[in-house]
Amino acid sequence: MTRRKTFQIGLLALLLLASPKDAPAFGETSRLVFVQGRYEGDWNPRPSALRRLAFELGTRTSIVTLPQEKVLPLDSPELFFYPFLYLSGIGPLPELSRAEVENLRRYLTFGGFLLCDDAGDGAFAASCERELARILPGRPVGRIPSDHVLFKTFYLVQQPAGRTLTRPYLTGVVEGGRLAAVVSSNDLGGAWARDELGSWSFDVVPGGEMQREIAFRLGVNVAMYALCTDYKDDQVHLPFIMKRRR
Amino acid sequence: METFDDWKLVLLTPWPRWVVAALVAAALLGVVLAALGLRKERRLPRRAVLLGLRAVAMAALLFLVLEPGVRHLQTATVKGRLAVLVDGSASMDLPMGDGKATRTAEAAEYLRAVAPALSELEKKYTLEFFRYGEKLAPVSGPEAAVEARDEATDLLGALEALPKGQGGRRLAGVLLVGDGADNAALRDGMTREARERLRALGVSVSTVSTGEGRARDLAIESLRVEDFAFVRNTVEVEVTLSAVEMGTLDVPVALRQEGEVVAQKTVSLGPKQPRQTVKLSFVPDRIGEFVFTVSVPVYEGEATSANNSETFVLKVIRDRVRTLHVVGRPSWDQRFLRTLLRNDPNVDLVSFYILRTQQDQPRASENELSLIPFPVEEIFEKQLWSFDLVVFQNFNYRPYRMDRYLPNLRKYVEEGGAFVMIGGENSFGEGGYEMSPIAGILPVEAVGAAPNESLFAPRLTESGLRHPVTQLSGGPDLTRAAWERLPQIPGINVTRARPGAQVLLEHPHVVAGGQNAPVVAVMEVGRGRTMAVTTDASWYWSMVAAQSGEGGSRHYERFWSQAIRWLVRDPDLTQVRVQAAQRSVPPGTPLAATISARRPDYAPAEGARIEVDLVDAVSSAPIARKILEAGPDGTARVEFAPPGVGAFKVIARAELGGNALGSGQDVIAVRASTLERSDTRARPELLQEIAELTGGGSISSSTRRLPEMRLLEPEVVEVGRSEDRPIWDRFWPILLLAVCLGGEWVLRRRWGYA
Repeated sequence: MTRRKTFQIGLLALLLLASPKDAPAFGETSRLVFVQGRYEGDWNPRPSALRRLAFELGTRTSIVTLPQEKVLPLDSPELFFYPFLYLSGIGPLPELSRAEVENLRRYLTFGGFLLCDDAGDGAFAASCERELARILPGRPVGRIPSDHVLFKTFYLVQQPAGRTLTRPYLTGVVEGGRLAAVVSSNDLGGAWARDELGSWSFDVVPGGEMQREIAFRLGVNVAMYALCTDYKDDQVHLPFIMKRRR
Repeated sequence: METFDDWKLVLLTPWPRWVVAALVAAALLGVVLAALGLRKERRLPRRAVLLGLRAVAMAALLFLVLEPGVRHLQTATVKGRLAVLVDGSASMDLPMGDGKATRTAEAAEYLRAVAPALSELEKKYTLEFFRYGEKLAPVSGPEAAVEARDEATDLLGALEALPKGQGGRRLAGVLLVGDGADNAALRDGMTREARERLRALGVSVSTVSTGEGRARDLAIESLRVEDFAFVRNTVEVEVTLSAVEMGTLDVPVALRQEGEVVAQKTVSLGPKQPRQTVKLSFVPDRIGEFVFTVSVPVYEGEATSANNSETFVLKVIRDRVRTLHVVGRPSWDQRFLRTLLRNDPNVDLVSFYILRTQQDQPRASENELSLIPFPVEEIFEKQLWSFDLVVFQNFNYRPYRMDRYLPNLRKYVEEGGAFVMIGGENSFGEGGYEMSPIAGILPVEAVGAAPNESLFAPRLTESGLRHPVTQLSGGPDLTRAAWERLPQIPGINVTRARPGAQVLLEHPHVVAGGQNAPVVAVMEVGRGRTMAVTTDASWYWSMVAAQSGEGGSRHYERFWSQAIRWLVRDPDLTQVRVQAAQRSVPPGTPLAATISARRPDYAPAEGARIEVDLVDAVSSAPIARKILEAGPDGTARVEFAPPGVGAFKVIARAELGGNALGSGQDVIAVRASTLERSDTRARPELLQEIAELTGGGSISSSTRRLPEMRLLEPEVVEVGRSEDRPIWDRFWPILLLAVCLGGEWVLRRRWGYA
């Protein structure tokens, strides 16, 4: 190889290296970081679920995520640095302490978002709804209608699905004009989780991989809702969405 | 010897009235008793004689008791007052008809013709001359009464202002000479209230009409428009035109905003439709106070051109701040700002978030996604000027080939728009904006340094201490304390302030280009304003601040709300304000305004030097200048001599201690015509109605004689001494009494009565 060629290749390499590409986000704090809530009990039945969801979010949408979730207790002041909180369990959620209730009340009132994901047969979901009534008294936990913007924040989702189809709807609590908490009984994490070898940790029933895809889409929608709230309800979007829904 | 020229009958009795009444009653009783006593007497002649004698006797007795007499008097006749009112309003300057003399000349000619008749009346009445128009003014004689100058006519007011009794002399009547063109209480004709007021005058008003001819004229009779309008909302101006002796014609009606036509329509007028109302609509695209003029052409031979145009001032205000929020990728910073903007009732939010980039793989067909194309051309070519504020939040413009639209954004700001860029990896230098067409409008410029991700507490600068954007609390000390209590934030785009920008918050440690790197900086660009927030973590001032309990998200909301208000030039946040005393004035009125100046910390700028210019609003030609000093409350009042008809701006610039405080302006319209000059019609029928209601007569001046005036007769009053002469003390009443009483007694005895 002549000196000239070496020089040219080196220059090309330099140019390629210098060519603009998407700069990374400022740091961890400008990314979407999932926080998993820790409590007394089996608080992490689906260990890799959030990591997988973060990955899917990062590849499917413009949201920039931190791959590794954080784990924090429910009475931690550090929660306020991470407005997306994920709670999961198989058995009932134990009654929260006063400090946890007050912390979560403040957290949700001032902008935090909570996703409760039942990985069992519904007991966890029911207990979450019970605790939400303590955390946000006077704000009833209600069924989220199928035409709610949550189901069209990114994907057009007809019906919620997870690893199972235990309940064909989601419930939630509204605070300050937005959904502050969403409760799923269908084990979303079970559909998202992958083992160390890269295989899906759980089969999805009864719909199989198609249903798993819907679970991911719902996860993306939930994250998108947490960040954009009712953006997709803006007037400018309506004609497009109506047309696609036909 | 005193001479008496009048007399009257009087009663000279010293008895009090009740005694007199009792005596009269007793006399009557005497007659009644006699009648009762004679009721059985069938012979009528006897009854009549006896009753008659009794009655005459009682009458004679009363005569003696009441002591009637004759009072001889000296009297004099007091002249009544006759008020002669002559119309001195501007409408009297109009001709009686084409080529004829003015109404004023006609009135003068009329008064000369009836002068002998008036002189005859002076034998019984004192003539008092007045000129009326806007007000009633006494004048020395008929020559002084004839002068057309008042800019309004108030007939009823003039009649009510007449002195009714002067030195005991009452008003015997009124002679009113004029054209009847009232524009006060009688403007819309004889209402019930007007009728009551005329009747309450208690004096007859006779009228002489001097304006029956119809002068050729096209006029803007009236204009209806609201005092204020919302920007980007249709405004309607209702114009009523009237044509007299103009024949049939199509009249173009134009509405101009400071010289530029904003609406135009053509109206057909003719003998069958001499009045027409037309609505002109337009949509104001800027906020502020503006002078508008409605005009029609001046045709040959018109009686006056003063009523062919009319000016008004319209204040255009913002209804809501229409905000465009463009976001490069969803983030918590975007989410908290969106929540704030959506919850603000004063903000009309339009958002476009890039939810998916070219590199992203949604693994779904378009039909399964709710995504829409980003309408770059629609927004940045067509709709941009409909927004009051544009926010770019971590937005990378390059994938959307927006280079050709960014010049529009620069122009939009220069022409008065507001723009904010919020930090992130796609903003400022990192986003390639330094080389873009909008580099020059940003308050910060790139320095080539990478973003700094470490936690820091932004520091308030001296400018930030006073600037409304960063005022978190009342006063500088509380504001500084509030900022210091807010949580630290991570990450800024490292930049430096552009020349002309004001840095309000800075990084305490990171230095760029020899200065601490700005966190919040603002700048005036042309007529617009821009702001740079070089962090993507201002949301910490909401959510993280809420955790510590420091007022929750209050400071975050206040910071952004104040920023929006300042960016869109909320009048309450300007340092120099000009407020005209009146926005629309008649011709000849001085133009007055109050200027208020505030220091950068918004305290009153006592002692500030204020330069005030009066300029033509259309041509911007300077007309006058005054230099004032602000008082302790930071205000100063200015008055300019009447500049003539047109639209004018009062522009004030203030400085304190050599530092400019800013400028402000307001507009004033000097109307081309008053109501007096715009409606040229004479109203002889109104004068006739006034005469009929008050019992006077009505006539046209062309007859050259006085109308039938029903004047009150002069009063006759007693003067000097009087003399009483009794008539009761003659012999005959006593004789009559004796004869009647005696005769009755004799006849009763002869005829056998007891």
